[in-house]
Amino acid sequence: MSSSAAASSYWRVAGMSYLKYSNLCADMVRAALKEPFKTKAKVREAVYYRTAQWKDGQPVKQVIVDLNPEATALSKK
Amino acid sequence: MSLRRGRGVLQRLQQPLCEGLQQHAPGLGEIAWLSQTGTQTRQASQLAVKQRMRSVQNIQKITKAMKMVAASKMRVAQVNTEKSRAIVSPLVRLLGDLPAVDVENNITVPVTTDKGLCGGINSTIAKYTRATLRAMAGEGKKQGLVVIGEKGRAQLQRDQRKAINATVADLGKVRITFSQASTVAEDLLKTEYDAARILFNRFGSAISFMPTVATVLSPDALEKEVEAGGSMDLYEVEGPDRPQLLQDLAEFHLAATLYNGVQENNCSEQASRMSAMESSTKNASEMLSKLTLYYNRSRQAKITTELIEIISGASALESK
Repeated sequence: MSSSAAASSYWRVAGMSYLKYSNLCADMVRAALKEPFKTKAKVREAVYYRTAQWKDGQPVKQVIVDLNPEATALSKK
Repeated sequence: MSLRRGRGVLQRLQQPLCEGLQQHAPGLGEIAWLSQTGTQTRQASQLAVKQRMRSVQNIQKITKAMKMVAASKMRVAQVNTEKSRAIVSPLVRLLGDLPAVDVENNITVPVTTDKGLCGGINSTIAKYTRATLRAMAGEGKKQGLVVIGEKGRAQLQRDQRKAINATVADLGKVRITFSQASTVAEDLLKTEYDAARILFNRFGSAISFMPTVATVLSPDALEKEVEAGGSMDLYEVEGPDRPQLLQDLAEFHLAATLYNGVQENNCSEQASRMSAMESSTKNASEMLSKLTLYYNRSRQAKITTELIEIISGASALESK
């Protein structure tokens, strides 16, 4: 974020990346839907994976990322 | 029977038992040897053949079921894959794909599967990853490796252990979503890199998958590349200034490419599993027919021997 820091959008000034901003916007649009479309779209908010950082050829710590447990539970149904 | 157990049985079946009979009917050596040593063992050997026939039959059922499951999963995955192509192709058209770009800090992201029994698609990716790492190595260059998928991690940690920065797994466990790809992409953006190469199996058809490299430049590298010339000059940019637009585009490009890569690889996985399971079902039925033949033949031999014994005994009594 070097050259563009000067003339940035307000969300970048707040420390968000474009991806975070656009995904938040998408979540907002999904939240504005009516049922039954709302539940159907909610499933697409699920973020679930396992990740581990490696150092010197060894995994340091494994983290399970589940940003939206509600949506994850919905997709498992 | 659970999948894991079925796999164990499959491995046990593949173990050679006796070398002599190996080429005639694989796996029957021990049984044949047993049958030469008396009636009792002959019966025992028949029991062993019967047991083996049953286990082969069970495995055949499992592989058949797995094939069906993979086929139906593939249909869903194919639709999602085709949709995800629509996200990434405009970006490729605009920014171009530069697999040969020469930058200092390279990162390679092989996309592999979490589960096995899906043919050789993970080995191909591992092979291409090694080749990419070799090609990118050089004076003053930095390498990074972020492995997606358990199987790729298992293969690459053997010889590329030092290069691995991070591993990601279970992407398809719940559902592959764009939000998920974005979160992974954001993690990637935090690590320093100039060019990220995402390796995945591009889905062609149910029987063809192409190992593919998609190159995504970092925001800074993209800016340099565009300044050096490119199709971006053809466009008039409104709104935010160009560097900022490029940064947004670079971020989105990475997430879209990752999303597409994971979808494509998932679809290829199901297709590959389908064909692998189809051929193993075929192998099982071949093995079963050989075993059945052997079983019937040895049973007939047993009956014949017993008849001969009775007849010869009777005739011996008669002659006295």
